[in-house]
Amino acid sequence: MERSKAMLVDITKCIGCRACEQACKEIHGFPKESETHLSTTAYTVVEDHGDRYVRRLCMNCQDPACASACLVGALKKTSLGPVTYDKSKCMGCRYCLVACPFNVPRYQWSKLAPYVTKCDMCYERQAKGQPPACVEACPAEASIIGWRDEILEEAQRRVLNDNKYVKQIYGSHEAGGTSVFFISDVAFEKLGFIAAPKHALPTLTANALGDVPTVVMVGGAMLSGLYWITQRRALVAMADAQKKKERS
Amino acid sequence: MLESSEKQEARGLKPLSSATDSGMAKAMPSHSDRAMSSEADRAMPSRAHAMDRGGEGEDEASLFSVRRWIAQITLWRVIVALIFVAGAYATYARFALGFAASTNLTDPQPWGLWVGLGTLCGVGLSAGGFAIAAAVYLLGFERYRPLLRTAVTVSFLGYLSVMVGMMYELGLPWRIWHPIVMWNRHSVLFEVSWCVMLYSTVLALEFSPALVEKIPWKRAREWYLKWHHEILIGLVLVGTVLSSLHQSFLGGLYLLTEGKLDPLWYSPYLPSLFYLSAIPAGLAATMIAIYLSVRSLDVKVDLGILSEVSQVIAPMLIIYALFRGVDLFTHGGSKYLLTWREETISFWVEIALFVFAPVILLSREKIRNNPLYLYWTCCLVVMGFMANRLNVSITGLQASSRIYYVPKWTEFALTLATITAAVLAFRYAVMYLEILPKSPQRPRWMVKSAAADA
Repeated sequence: MERSKAMLVDITKCIGCRACEQACKEIHGFPKESETHLSTTAYTVVEDHGDRYVRRLCMNCQDPACASACLVGALKKTSLGPVTYDKSKCMGCRYCLVACPFNVPRYQWSKLAPYVTKCDMCYERQAKGQPPACVEACPAEASIIGWRDEILEEAQRRVLNDNKYVKQIYGSHEAGGTSVFFISDVAFEKLGFIAAPKHALPTLTANALGDVPTVVMVGGAMLSGLYWITQRRALVAMADAQKKKERS
Repeated sequence: MLESSEKQEARGLKPLSSATDSGMAKAMPSHSDRAMSSEADRAMPSRAHAMDRGGEGEDEASLFSVRRWIAQITLWRVIVALIFVAGAYATYARFALGFAASTNLTDPQPWGLWVGLGTLCGVGLSAGGFAIAAAVYLLGFERYRPLLRTAVTVSFLGYLSVMVGMMYELGLPWRIWHPIVMWNRHSVLFEVSWCVMLYSTVLALEFSPALVEKIPWKRAREWYLKWHHEILIGLVLVGTVLSSLHQSFLGGLYLLTEGKLDPLWYSPYLPSLFYLSAIPAGLAATMIAIYLSVRSLDVKVDLGILSEVSQVIAPMLIIYALFRGVDLFTHGGSKYLLTWREETISFWVEIALFVFAPVILLSREKIRNNPLYLYWTCCLVVMGFMANRLNVSITGLQASSRIYYVPKWTEFALTLATITAAVLAFRYAVMYLEILPKSPQRPRWMVKSAAADA
């Protein structure tokens, strides 16, 4: 994989102005009203947790469960980092919603032709070299974007050099690593972060799927063998019966 | 499919006083109100009804036909009609108003009753087809042959129902063909969809002789049956492998829910557990179908066969229970076994229905040798199985989703209508096709069938 982009959200820097929300809504043409939870018209929201503000958005996992779940490959991890959604492929099974360890994707339940919605870190803008709309709008530099390795280094530097930070980078190990990192001075559990598994989820199904050829080969061979034995037995039994008949 | 069954039912395709009807439909007297007829009215034999006719005079032909039509309205038919009306409304709600109007699904609970009961149970309870076919053709257990066609028919109808359900379940059902051309081989659901597509084809082919036998042209019939006979073993073999794969991969779907699904159900061995539980449940469903056919249709089967199958079901349930137990203790679910939570209660209800009750009941000879008791035991197995699938797909995910999902009535209505349609289809299949051996005395309208000529 070539060098990919990642985002760092520093919760200590967020001032709760919701400029990121507004920029996101504007670029997607959604109604301007601020929402409290992620929705089909809010790919990012700023949550109030006492005196801390926490941005929610798709984590754009390195090895996304949603992309491995999607049977038609509508969800894809791009080499640039964002996990994109191709609505022309989607058939609306919603397995991605079941699979996501962060409960991010949203579904258009009230539409007659409903699609899945989620943040894709402004993939189209990033492909043109522009930052995501939310990052561009942030006046406090609470959200920054950069090459993933450099962003991770930056996060480590902040966490190690300043004692106020919790010694954890949320997203460095969650679900096997993500393209969005959070650092905070308040424990992540208290801010509503999910204690996601610390490994990539698709490996779980990859193991099971890896068994398919074995099952087909061994199972097929075993069943054929059993059938051969069954046939052979029937033939022997028939021959025996024939002999008995001849003797008598 | 729903609509056509409904019409058939309303028109009363079934002849009025056939012997086959004794169990299901008691003829109602014509002069009573449809729904409000009293117990005594219902019990009135059809002979009285015939006398009634005589008194009215033969020339009133049109009135006579109306009366005949009314006489065909029975309690069960009214119930079936109501179910289909509700199902029709659910269909309207789903396709004209959308998910929000027809279901209580939300983002934290994106899969509900239609997946949990419709797909997971529909496919699981259809496992009898491949199990019996493999037993008879590959393992040479000839004594199960009488069950074969029933098992295949139940499975075929089961898969058909699942596919009908899929059309409701998918957000964009007109794209149901997408997996054929758009591949993601890392997706368990992709494997499931391919296996289900292929296995449904296999089932259709396995079921086809029952229909082809009724073709009046002898040469076409024989050509097809000969050709079918030649590929049959291959079909059974492929069907067994495909079934084994997707029965277990339905469990594999939930491997990705690590951290979300309750530890009482989450396990890296979910695929094996789904496979091990589907076979006894599928066999139990087949037994139920056979028992009901014998009880309410004109079918003659040596019910001793049920007792034999039950002796296979019990050890399968024990194997499943042992596997599940070891799995719970090795993967950390065991510490939740005795906590006072809704999940734990659901877990024990499931285990009691699926394992404890059937195993204890089947260990008694008195139960094993009584078809009625066996039937109820099989019902327990099926209910326990459904509890398991609903626990995995709904109960076990409730805590992590932080919402309490209760299906909307339209979700129940549609599921019920699909099941009813499948049951009706099975009933007509047994009545008109050679699924189970019929009693020698055949109803009038059957005699002209091709099989009777042949």
